[in-house]
Amino acid sequence: MKQQLRQPTLETLGLGSVLDIFARGALPVTTADLVDRVFGPTGQRGALVISGANGIVGAGKTMQLGSRLEPYGVPVVALDFPGGPSGLAKQYPGLVKTFGAEQAARIMGNVTQLTYDGTRLPPQLAAFQPRFLLEAIPEVLELKRAHYRLFRSSFPEIEIRSVTSGFPSRELGVSITHPAFPHEINKVWEVVEGQPSAITQLYWSLGLVPMMVGDHWSFVLDVLFTGLTQAGIRYHEATNMPFWKIDKFLRRVVGPNPFRAHDVIGAKGSNFLTWSCLEHLGQNYGDLFTPTATMAARKESGQDWYPPAHLRPMVNWTLDAAGEENLRTWILGPLFQMTALMVHEKRAQLAQMNAIGEICAQFTGGLPLLMRQAGEENVIRTVEAYHRLHPAAAKSPWHPEVLEQLGGAEWQQLYVNAEHDGRVGVITLGRESYSHEVNAELNRAIDWLKGQKIDRVILTGDFHLAGQLVGADTTNFYPALEDPAQGIAISRTWSLTARRFHAEFGTSVAFINGKRCLGGMLELLEHCHYVVALDSCDLGMPEVTLPVVPGMEGCHWVFRKTPPALWSKLLELLLEGKSIKAKDGTGWLVDFAGPMTDALKTCWQIAQGETSVTKRPFNERKLEGVTRALPALRAAAPATEVARRAILRTVEASCGATLAEALEIQAQLSAEFMGSPEVRQGRVGEAWSKFQS
Amino acid sequence: MKVPDSPFPRARIPYGTWGTSYFPAWQSSAMAEVNIGQFAAESMARIMGLRQVPVRAIDYLVAGSTIPWRWKFSNAPLLSAVLGHRVPGCHVEQACATGLLAVVQGAMEVQSGGSGVVGVLTFDRTSDSSVGIFPERRSPARTLALNDVWDNFGFDPGSGFATLATAGNTARKYRLDRREVDELTACRYEQYFAAKQSGFLDRFAVPLEVLNPKGKVQGRIDADTGVKPVTLDTLRGLPELAPCVTAGGQTHPSDGLATLLVATPERARELSRRPEIDIQLMAKAYVRSGPGLMPEAPTLAVAKLLQDTGLALDQIVAVKSHNPFAVNDAVFAKVHGYDWKKMNRTGSSLVWGHPQAPTMTRIVIEALEETVERGGGYALVMGCAAGDIGVAALFKVS
Repeated sequence: MKQQLRQPTLETLGLGSVLDIFARGALPVTTADLVDRVFGPTGQRGALVISGANGIVGAGKTMQLGSRLEPYGVPVVALDFPGGPSGLAKQYPGLVKTFGAEQAARIMGNVTQLTYDGTRLPPQLAAFQPRFLLEAIPEVLELKRAHYRLFRSSFPEIEIRSVTSGFPSRELGVSITHPAFPHEINKVWEVVEGQPSAITQLYWSLGLVPMMVGDHWSFVLDVLFTGLTQAGIRYHEATNMPFWKIDKFLRRVVGPNPFRAHDVIGAKGSNFLTWSCLEHLGQNYGDLFTPTATMAARKESGQDWYPPAHLRPMVNWTLDAAGEENLRTWILGPLFQMTALMVHEKRAQLAQMNAIGEICAQFTGGLPLLMRQAGEENVIRTVEAYHRLHPAAAKSPWHPEVLEQLGGAEWQQLYVNAEHDGRVGVITLGRESYSHEVNAELNRAIDWLKGQKIDRVILTGDFHLAGQLVGADTTNFYPALEDPAQGIAISRTWSLTARRFHAEFGTSVAFINGKRCLGGMLELLEHCHYVVALDSCDLGMPEVTLPVVPGMEGCHWVFRKTPPALWSKLLELLLEGKSIKAKDGTGWLVDFAGPMTDALKTCWQIAQGETSVTKRPFNERKLEGVTRALPALRAAAPATEVARRAILRTVEASCGATLAEALEIQAQLSAEFMGSPEVRQGRVGEAWSKFQS
Repeated sequence: MKVPDSPFPRARIPYGTWGTSYFPAWQSSAMAEVNIGQFAAESMARIMGLRQVPVRAIDYLVAGSTIPWRWKFSNAPLLSAVLGHRVPGCHVEQACATGLLAVVQGAMEVQSGGSGVVGVLTFDRTSDSSVGIFPERRSPARTLALNDVWDNFGFDPGSGFATLATAGNTARKYRLDRREVDELTACRYEQYFAAKQSGFLDRFAVPLEVLNPKGKVQGRIDADTGVKPVTLDTLRGLPELAPCVTAGGQTHPSDGLATLLVATPERARELSRRPEIDIQLMAKAYVRSGPGLMPEAPTLAVAKLLQDTGLALDQIVAVKSHNPFAVNDAVFAKVHGYDWKKMNRTGSSLVWGHPQAPTMTRIVIEALEETVERGGGYALVMGCAAGDIGVAALFKVS
């Protein structure tokens, strides 16, 4: 009987569970089928029409969807007013960079640009048989409604989705797919539909990340982002701190730079959108959201939030401990209250609400995570302290009762889920980078499966929120830059978790799909008894390029299950930092690599104990002569050369020890290097400096 | 005791809603390199933030400066934009008396009913001061350059005297004794360092960090740099630059800013750090002394003020002067029969320097803090300015 630690996010899209995918040996839907359902079969293919195609959203989405649908012969019509600036033309250099000139030309060749006057559709449009309208016109309710009437009068069967960031579906009369910025590359769409439609599933199948959200004024992303902006403005109004400096503190406290983001997107448009969202939220929920006078003034003026270059700031702002606490109250208080409201209204599954904040608004940790970390008592105390600073907000809805569920799996497993069928368990990673929180949740998921007497496990991405596994969350390394003990603790803790897949299950299989699996995530997955990968996946250990020394046993673990003749490949992987295709790693980095269906089936067979894939022997003794396999390396920058020597030293020492000793050696040496000038001057150190400034 | 009527009955200075930078001696700090107008406006936002005054409370800005800075043409409107709150405003200037004139202008603006809360912001940077190029048909070169600090100190075109010479002229006129002037100077240094030691400066002076164009901290302005204790023996050994004037007995150029608010009584109570304290501008006097006698002008201004108000000096709790020369205070004491040890008990510009426009604003702030500390009463401030101008003002703290 199937059991789930919590509901898989995939299920909210009507796509079943991850366990189902393995058991079936196939993905739940295919792009070809969904293209047929949405646009009609080959030979009768209708078109995707994007209106407002020269705007920031429209142009970005024309590129994103156009590039994915072109191979399926779906024509794309880009519709907008004549005479405006061409947003599509601005996208072309990026398209060439991503796809190359030839494919970019093919993609653009599939986009037909038509103009209209807003009241009559161009007569040529009918020839394209429009099947799906993605509306990206300005945020004016009556304008949008009239636009839908116009299309429906000509094409009664057309499916319409709005990209609105603020109007509920019930007001618009159409469903919503609200995309996240930057529109040409961000894959997340907030979807408002009664039931997940073929369009939503097609988005997923095309590699995008749709997330189901509730039908309310402004969706999760905009509540979080405009709410944070509003919180920052209120703090400014109380303290006079300039917006550029508030951004710096916000980066440290929560992650995003909302004011910089407004300026980058374009203050004129984004100020209006933020005001519009807050205005509607304020009308529905009161002063917690009501735009302040500053926000209203910026909406009118379209003025940037940062000073112009000729007035670059001259006076620094610092905060003492009490000042920092005051700032945290002004910022976290409203965010906690807003999030509790969204949880109360069940606006989204918590894992997805959390992911929307992290993936789309650059929150270091999503709001549900921040609330979980703070704990029920502190969240309530913070909101109450905020109400003392801003008493009017106390009259807005505040739902502390949702925090009573903080100990449940919905809150506790934001990134890692587990399911099983009574025999095989699947642990899914829903975050692309490995962090302390992922580590803790992974341990809880393992404990849950062990408690359910499951001895066979598949460890994989979640086929939804984590489209790739990129390695360690390097922000977790910051304490280790100053304190080697912290570095040792990270390495030791994470490695011990990874070892559980080796030691605590009869069979563990790592399944790697998505674009890439790198660094710490690859180190984690390599701890499984078997590694199965999609043949097109990129696998790599880029630590040397940062530089850091791999700390999750990457310097010895894989050597122990790789024939000595192939050690040079592992050394090259570690010391060059270049990725390889999974199919080229068979026999030393992966046990099987193939197309999706083959990989899924093989993985399931291994998990069932019904496979011909041989388990590679694992050598727990000291390995001799590993570094004698050193390949010729390309010349590199001095810092990289120093990192190479540190990695090589770690390989030599940890491979030259028994398995029992190796973990501590790896932890010691990786932590030691973390304090080096090369790390401080490298990418991790630079990000750390920026974080501190 | 006669209680004078204020010409500004609707104007109050909310206690504690003020602040200054420290005044580093010229060329001695990172402030020497900033656009002082922008720096001052950003600093005012910071200072008001620390005083828990949102700049949004301000509805008019009086700016005061004497040395041209880049974009001075835009002045108060630009400063308020940098401040983070776009309000109307104006610029005032009366050389070294600007700091007091700006406060009076603020009171007038409130009294007129034009504004409920007026911000006063005075600032100057003497370091690397600007140089103006002027057409001058009387010169063979037809064009002359003017250094806005040194050339103005060196020559008052109205009288033909250098500022230094006016001190000597005044000392001669009043037959001052060099020994007394040196003792007075030594006393001023002792007063400043005692006040500093007591933490008095921390009540209004705010440390500020200066950012370079890349956003990194270039320097921290957290002291009246360049000020060192001086002994009486040292002072006595200094050569005279003019009668009774030595290097120790005159101030030095510095950089700085000072800010305070003037508001209606209602708004003042809302904004004040101590609403029970009421501070009112009771009177002002502007006079002009004879040519080349600038240091006697404050003495004359006080005489006028006392005559106008009917008050006597023994009714004043705190007496503070802008004393670019020790001669100023010596003349005042001699003419009014006042013990110069009782003046400037918390320091004076003779010691902590003279950035010009903000100097007298800091003196007002110090006078008010001292009067509050002494339980209230009248505070008298006085000062001189180029052109032999003397100014004096009376505040009541109750």
